[in-house]
Amino acid sequence: MQKQRSINFFLRNLIVLVLGLIMVYPLAWMVMSSFKDTKLIFTTAGSLWPETFVIDNYINGWKGFGKVGFDVFFKNSLFISIVATIGTIMSSATVAFGLSRCNFPGRRILFSAMLVSMMLPAQVLMIPQYLWYNQLNWVGSYLPLTVPYFFAIQGFFIYLIKNFIDGIPRDLDEAAKIDGCSFYGIFGRVILPLTVPSLITTGIFSFMWRWDDFLSALLYVNDSAKYPVSLALKLFCDPGSSSDYGAMFAMSTISILPAMLIFIFLQKYLVEGISTSGLK
Amino acid sequence: MKSISSFINREKSAGIIFCSPFIIGFFIFMIVPMLLSLYYSFCDYNILSPPVWAGLKNYAKMINDTRFYKAIGVTFYFALVSVPLRLIFALLVAMLLLKTSKLTAMYRAMYYLPSIIGGSVAVSILWKRIFAVDGVLNSILGIFGLNRGFSWLGDTRTAIWTLIILAVWQFGSSMLIFLSSLKQIPASMYEASGIDGAGKIRQFFSVTLPLLTPTIFFNLVMQMINGFLAFTQCYIITQGKPMDSTLFYTVYMHEQSFSFFNTGYGAALAWVMLGIIGLITLVLFATKRLWVYEGGL
Amino acid sequence: MKKSMAVITAVLMLLMSACSGGGGSSPSPAATQPAAQETSQASTESSAGASLIVSWWGNQTRNERTQAALDLYTEQNPGIEIDGQFSEWSDYWNKLATAAAGKSLPDVLQMDYAYLEQYVSNGLLLDLTPYIENGTLDVSNVSESVLDSGRVGDGIYAITIGINGPSMFYNKTLLEENDITIKDNMTLDEFIDKCREIYEKTGYKTALPYNVDLNFTEALLRGVGVQLYEENKLGGAEENYEIYYGLLKMGLDEGWHISPGVLAERAFGSVEQSSLVYGSSPENMSWCAMHFSNQLTAMQNAAPEGVEIGITTWPTADPKLSSYLKPSQFFSVSADTSNPEEAVKVVDYWTNSVECNEILLAERGIPASSVVADAITPLLAETEQLVSVYINEVVSPNCSPINPPMPEKASEVMASYKAIEERLAYGETDVVSAAQEFYAEGNRILGGN
Repeated sequence: MQKQRSINFFLRNLIVLVLGLIMVYPLAWMVMSSFKDTKLIFTTAGSLWPETFVIDNYINGWKGFGKVGFDVFFKNSLFISIVATIGTIMSSATVAFGLSRCNFPGRRILFSAMLVSMMLPAQVLMIPQYLWYNQLNWVGSYLPLTVPYFFAIQGFFIYLIKNFIDGIPRDLDEAAKIDGCSFYGIFGRVILPLTVPSLITTGIFSFMWRWDDFLSALLYVNDSAKYPVSLALKLFCDPGSSSDYGAMFAMSTISILPAMLIFIFLQKYLVEGISTSGLK
Repeated sequence: MKSISSFINREKSAGIIFCSPFIIGFFIFMIVPMLLSLYYSFCDYNILSPPVWAGLKNYAKMINDTRFYKAIGVTFYFALVSVPLRLIFALLVAMLLLKTSKLTAMYRAMYYLPSIIGGSVAVSILWKRIFAVDGVLNSILGIFGLNRGFSWLGDTRTAIWTLIILAVWQFGSSMLIFLSSLKQIPASMYEASGIDGAGKIRQFFSVTLPLLTPTIFFNLVMQMINGFLAFTQCYIITQGKPMDSTLFYTVYMHEQSFSFFNTGYGAALAWVMLGIIGLITLVLFATKRLWVYEGGL
Repeated sequence: MKKSMAVITAVLMLLMSACSGGGGSSPSPAATQPAAQETSQASTESSAGASLIVSWWGNQTRNERTQAALDLYTEQNPGIEIDGQFSEWSDYWNKLATAAAGKSLPDVLQMDYAYLEQYVSNGLLLDLTPYIENGTLDVSNVSESVLDSGRVGDGIYAITIGINGPSMFYNKTLLEENDITIKDNMTLDEFIDKCREIYEKTGYKTALPYNVDLNFTEALLRGVGVQLYEENKLGGAEENYEIYYGLLKMGLDEGWHISPGVLAERAFGSVEQSSLVYGSSPENMSWCAMHFSNQLTAMQNAAPEGVEIGITTWPTADPKLSSYLKPSQFFSVSADTSNPEEAVKVVDYWTNSVECNEILLAERGIPASSVVADAITPLLAETEQLVSVYINEVVSPNCSPINPPMPEKASEVMASYKAIEERLAYGETDVVSAAQEFYAEGNRILGGN
């Protein structure tokens, strides 16, 4: 019996480990390639380990483009992602509470609208949104990349937080009501503190999605000094002229660091925050 | 003063006030552009000049457009294959990682990492390198003597699978969602069924799976929608080649709108896709009653 | 409770005002520019305090040099501010199109032959003729034919900022090692013989520009006196389109052409992944590649150690008829610009300033002005000198005028061509049917359906 258990344990760990390594291989390849001479990357694609480690790609890549170095691009990405994330958390939590705890006419319609907003391809909205933002004179600034997020336009997060709130027993609401709390009070004093795990989850996902988004930046950010990293990376790959893949891989490696770090340190919140006990 | 405060404190008003950010945002940032785009779908529009009303011309064009049907076919195939695969892997690995050990955190990171970086340009280029004729996959097959110099990206039967594998590779996010749900199943449930004599496999099917159905449903809906809207990877890796065998609908839409300047037609295509996704979501919600356990814990 | 709502609102308002103040607190040198742009939009005065947006596509090298050249201009012209915006090729056109829709095109924009006609016919570009006539834009050192390439209808809408010519790059080292010689201005038949010879002797295959674009096909057509695009239809007759398709099929059947599967996985247009310089065995590699002359440097850089890349003409039935000088890129001015005078002056600077071109060093191609070209030739690197020699001594004396700019539906026609080419390569159709099908499709698309 004991032997059976330990064989199971061993097997299970082996499968998990091997599969895990396969999962991670492409990434490892990219990181390793960033340390290879850029001309050799594709010719030595089969071997993971570089023959000689060079950091030229990092130096070249960091220089960036024109007069703008990657430090500026990173600062830009951080600014955009953080601001948009704050907006997302604040607004999504508010709306989630409303949908979860309040009964009002049009609630179902709103919920459906929320689902619809998740089903829209970005291309549908691309040109009309551009024209609209142009009218508002927002093109050329970070406004289109940040302001909308203060209005809970990403249904996914509303859905996520709402489910979490659904799982919080209503007795707490009742108790607060008896104590004379208004809805606003319940939200601020009772529910909000309890939803912190899901808020953190929202924050993490939102940050990562904003970090990777290049389509909006492409349309609305004109000044190359304001480019976020996601857009800057594309500049490395211009077909028809020399593409510096080494530098691109190097900068890509650096650009996934924030997401990785966030994930590694905030892992347990991620799992806690996705409470689905109230999924109906 | 008193009537205002009693007004905003009523459940109905409070609800609307809480949801107001979304209501406002939806109107300003979504409805207006959506209606504009709907208008374009009924116009001859090439972006560079103002749109000209053309009635149902674009929609009629769609009916005879073979590439349109091809794109729908490819996209459906992609979604209907990659999504279930993703969910299955996500669930299986979540189950394997359930028993927390010191290494669990590391494993979770390993499986989740692909999802974090999956959307990037670098990964797409990477993917091409893996499936190239002289690429990594063939090299590894060569170790086992199985290298035939097969062109995975150049063959119409396998090209789409490179994209499917890329999508499934990023199952980490679904896995996390399953993990958290699994953790919420009280041990008492398992104990109870264990007492009744159920073995591990039986437990899985009669306890775990039913209780997981709400999560599976959520994941299914989300992933399906994302599957139909997939764009970046296809755009960078295959652009629809070879012979449109990997022509994702959104890529086709993009090509029509921006490369061919048939933007009115592109808008019409977008609305048709929206309709299709809407229909599928409705169907999924309708079947909910049949297989999703609503009892809660 | 109300207090925290107030705090939240206050924070929101703070953030929003910070955002609208020009993009937030990111410490960028261009922080003052959005404000400058606004005032220049409103003002119409052209001298003191004009702010221009100049846009282009390109890679790091081009970006650095262009930015430096623009900086030099602003130094020499105080009061003018230039905001340089760049992106990568495909993003560039997406963005430009959207900007056109929103009537916010850059003042000076890099333009390509493939899109020129479209932008002109939709009224988006400024006719430069008046500025040429009044001397603001000095084109006295630009040859007539080069100037004409920017002509659409009666006006000149674009000025060439780099000349190149169709070039076949080839693996000089490989040929020398095997005592194979080729000469400039080869005919198509001579070319086919070489492909067979090289395959037999060395095992290296050939890569025609499979699934890339219609440039080579267009040249083959020119070689038999046919113009690809005519008014609302394809030029020539069905049989003409069998030339390229037939060549491809022959190569595949006889075995000297690389398999389409291999080519399918290469990044579109990427020099590093061209089978001339990259591949694991001769089976996957080509001894030649059809490109344009300004890509020689990139190709040579991408070539493995010890491989020298040679440059010669595209093989067609009649090289003199098919060869041409092509503007690799243009600068155009937006029709809606609020500073036309200043914008044109930048274009003039680009064309005529030797200092400017000493910075650019022919990265986009040979400068349009012969005076400038002569001045910078001694400064060019070895490969660029080769290009210069090629253009001046091989192409120029033996070429014909370039075809008119591509019509609006050109990209759709190209997509159709490539799709049929693919089916031919995969054996799903034959040469005659392929040509028939393309001829019908092309005419249908150009005819306005």
